[in-house]
Amino acid sequence: MKTIIRFLAFLVLISLPLSGCREAPQSRLERIKQAGVIKVGTSADYPPFEYVDESGNKVGFDIELMEEIGKRLGVKVEWVDMPFDSLIAGVQEGKIDCSISAFNYTEERDKVVDFSDPYYTAEDAFLVAETFTGTITQPEDVAQYKVGVQSGTTQDDWLTNVLKMPEQNLFRYDRADQAALDLKSGRIEVMMADAIPAKALAQKIGGLKIVYTGVLSSGPMNIVLPEGDTELAAAINDILKQLKQEGFIDQLAQKYLTE
Amino acid sequence: MVIQFFTYILQGTSVTLAVTLVALPLGLILGLAFALLYNYGGLWVSRLAAVYSLAMRGVPPVALLFVLYFLLSGRLVNLSPFWAGSISLGIISSAYQMEILRGALQAVGESQMIAARAIGMSRFQAIRYIILPQAIRLAIPPWSNEASIVLKDSSLVYALGVPEILRRAQQLSATTQQPFLAFGAAALIYFILVFLANRGLDLLAEKTKLPNAAA
Amino acid sequence: MREFPPILQAKNLTKTYGENVIFKNISLDVYKGETIVIIGPSGTGKSTLLRCLNLLTPVDSGQIFLEGEEITAPSVNQDQVRQKIGMVFQNFLLFNHLTALGNVMVGLTKVKKMPHNQAKEKALQELERVGLADRAHHYPAQLSGGQQQRVAIARALAMDPLVMLFDEPTSALDPELIGEVLGVMEQLAHEHMTMLVVTHEMGFAREVADRIIFMEKGRIVEEGTPEDLFERPQQARTREFLGRISELYGKREKG
Repeated sequence: MKTIIRFLAFLVLISLPLSGCREAPQSRLERIKQAGVIKVGTSADYPPFEYVDESGNKVGFDIELMEEIGKRLGVKVEWVDMPFDSLIAGVQEGKIDCSISAFNYTEERDKVVDFSDPYYTAEDAFLVAETFTGTITQPEDVAQYKVGVQSGTTQDDWLTNVLKMPEQNLFRYDRADQAALDLKSGRIEVMMADAIPAKALAQKIGGLKIVYTGVLSSGPMNIVLPEGDTELAAAINDILKQLKQEGFIDQLAQKYLTE
Repeated sequence: MVIQFFTYILQGTSVTLAVTLVALPLGLILGLAFALLYNYGGLWVSRLAAVYSLAMRGVPPVALLFVLYFLLSGRLVNLSPFWAGSISLGIISSAYQMEILRGALQAVGESQMIAARAIGMSRFQAIRYIILPQAIRLAIPPWSNEASIVLKDSSLVYALGVPEILRRAQQLSATTQQPFLAFGAAALIYFILVFLANRGLDLLAEKTKLPNAAA
Repeated sequence: MREFPPILQAKNLTKTYGENVIFKNISLDVYKGETIVIIGPSGTGKSTLLRCLNLLTPVDSGQIFLEGEEITAPSVNQDQVRQKIGMVFQNFLLFNHLTALGNVMVGLTKVKKMPHNQAKEKALQELERVGLADRAHHYPAQLSGGQQQRVAIARALAMDPLVMLFDEPTSALDPELIGEVLGVMEQLAHEHMTMLVVTHEMGFAREVADRIIFMEKGRIVEEGTPEDLFERPQQARTREFLGRISELYGKREKG
């Protein structure tokens, strides 16, 4: 019994430093600058926007962009890698200061978080196996096929709510690469994804081709910011504007998004 | 490349082990407390313990993780993702460990309690010196199973941004499009960890085993 | 010759389980140094009576006194009372995870808070007393039934009880193992241990008991010395029971 109590006391002790620091009324941006660190959430499994290289470093379009934003804010970026689905909750509950993870604007997301100005406009693509014999001339045509999509993405939203795909034909995956592998093996017939990662996937996996590209589900990509924090939004938007003018973003797109 | 690959995933092992080493003992303490309350706590306390067990076995671990980290942490207490995740898994595991210990306590039987009371032990003394030492011996094999489960469930803390073995494998799978290699490496590490844990507990069971044949 | 008050005294004890009356208005005096044997058909509440006497089971009404003090009073510390009343069970109920020595020691170290060495010495003495000093380091599973029961007796004796209760101590034993347990009990009787024994062993009752109580259907039908009961039973029920029991157990009785 004594040892149990001692262990509990030990647990309480080591968790003490984690609790108790009630923050003074200070804006988030002030706090970030004072700490010299901005905590940024991302889901590092979405090349070429955010992923890890073979030695585990986070790389990609979004990563490099955010590092530059951090540099211009005068702070270090502390990356927090979370599943895509956790990111909005993370920003909403203040666990991370913002999130960059190829986010597109949606009304639902806008209810709980804010968005920065767009930093890049994404196109959607339909990906099929090279052996695919159907025809897709306009986006609505995909409704008759078995379609795979990464769950929780704007493509998922578009298929579900705009196209109103029959549920039995819609296959949702945790990660885009799972869908691509199933596409190759014939378990699904069409896959919908962001055009640039779709191209990358097609190349990596092989045996896949893109049959349609266009702006359907998403359009512009934005950084997700805490609801109502206009100060942080203004600071980041200013930097984005500079980066666009300087051609930094075009260089990034050149580096990561064209093959 | 394969070496680098493996090294990156292997770095997640310390997270996996740390989460397990918090969640498992926490689950044991809570589970033991609830098992004792269930077996010896009287009608209402016992029902409460049963409800706790049912609720915690029913709730998906990820849901509890989210509640603890995103909703409670920062309001009631300030928990880092690591602690929120480890504590959530500990709470869930406590329900399973409670069932293991509850069964073991019952298997020891009421008659050992009566014999202990008959020499003047209090209920507490009887539980402490007579019932528990026997129950814990009986609980080691099923507990070893639970330890493996917690070890593998520890991957769930990735939902809060703690990058352990499985998450690292996912990342590499996305980067390289070589899921078999990435997840194979993760599986191998898990296998080794589970194997070592089970071997250790088997040895413990062997060491504490009571002789059962006439000498 | 009887010291007053009785060391253990029961007044008007009644125990029911729902509708089922286990025993009713039982009164009983046990004096220091005497051996009382309770006999009677199975299911007449003899075992329950013993469990009530050392407070393992609560009575519905009535009072129990130990050395003149009421132990059924609500303010009494029952754990302390049980230390003073030894109990030996039909199924031995040794602690399976402890050696014979550990079984005898655990009450001394944990309940009486005796220092380890002193407890060990005392426990070895008690094991010696039941003839099992050489089995001190055996676990229950390594002992025969008769040996286990003797360890159980040593375990109870180690607490230096005022009175020992035996609940059918030989009923679970193979016939060839009964003798060693009865032998230990007989020796205790000769050492003037106060004992209350529920048993079907008529030979033991006849030779060792100072008094015999015949219980049936939750009541004391008759009590008296072994001679009174065996030679001149007053009640027809007693005669009938003794007749039946000697048919069943007669072959095993000692001359």
